[in-house]
Amino acid sequence: MNWGTNMADQDKQLDQLFAQAREARDVFPDDLAVRIEIDAEAVRLARSARTSRRTWRQRIGVIGGWHGLGGLVAASAAGVWIGFSAPTFLPDPVDYFVSQEATYLMADLNLDENYLEDAE
Amino acid sequence: MEDLTSYPNTAHGKSHAVPEPSDEELLGRFADGDAAAARLLTGRLGPRSYSVALRMLGNQAEAEDVTQEAMMRLWKMAPDWVPGQAQLSTWLYRVTLNLCVDLRRKKRPDALENVAEPEDGAASVVDRMQDAARKDALQAALEQLPDRQRQAVVLRHIEELSNPEIAGIMDISVEAVESLTARGKRSLTAILAGRRDELGYEHG
Repeated sequence: MNWGTNMADQDKQLDQLFAQAREARDVFPDDLAVRIEIDAEAVRLARSARTSRRTWRQRIGVIGGWHGLGGLVAASAAGVWIGFSAPTFLPDPVDYFVSQEATYLMADLNLDENYLEDAE
Repeated sequence: MEDLTSYPNTAHGKSHAVPEPSDEELLGRFADGDAAAARLLTGRLGPRSYSVALRMLGNQAEAEDVTQEAMMRLWKMAPDWVPGQAQLSTWLYRVTLNLCVDLRRKKRPDALENVAEPEDGAASVVDRMQDAARKDALQAALEQLPDRQRQAVVLRHIEELSNPEIAGIMDISVEAVESLTARGKRSLTAILAGRRDELGYEHG
């Protein structure tokens, strides 16, 4: 390749150098493509996690935020505790239902001494 | 005017019987959590960013880092992209060029360190050196241009973008693009002519 001495030749030769550069344009390192795709996946997963956290924050917001959630948890825990370990000055709801059930069942059977004697 | 913005589909002459999603559509899919869209965008836009970065920096490792960073910014801004505001490729070229300028400001001056290694063969040492120098002649000349001229020349004559798109990327008028590319070509010609003897070109 001789570098021309007039403008037209020089322009033509410069265009040839540009054409050679364009041929090399599509060369793209495979490892670079992998690095870029790993970055994309990391961004996508991070965004997905943020979206998930935002959804939970919105749900918690409906019941009054973290304070509301804390109150709800405390009230639930107190209810469970009272259910299993009622204070002495309150009637035991478990006994109440069991005794009522037992009374009802016994009355419903309508047992009397004669019935038992007949069975013997 | 020829649309050069949907590379590589139109540039490689693929059939348009089944319209492929635009870059902007793929970015929207990625923002919605579609991992496959990222792979397609990497294949379409990565080489364009890398090609420009390589010509602007003349260093493969730095060009790779710039391309990775430019694409990372693309992934991060995906949910905020407003369709129709600009071509996605325009945005990516602009980010890539800005990153290149930032890097050159930090590292200057080492632009000519990246001379290609000559391949082994029967050619003499002098022949191989001249061959490597010829291959790199354009790059060495490009690196002597001012940043804006080099950007305009690379985008116009290597990336083959239209003047209006280059104007959008560089945020200047079309006339300014024409002026920069014309001056850039004249400078390249002068630089290459001055290096004729050094490159072993015969007179005549």
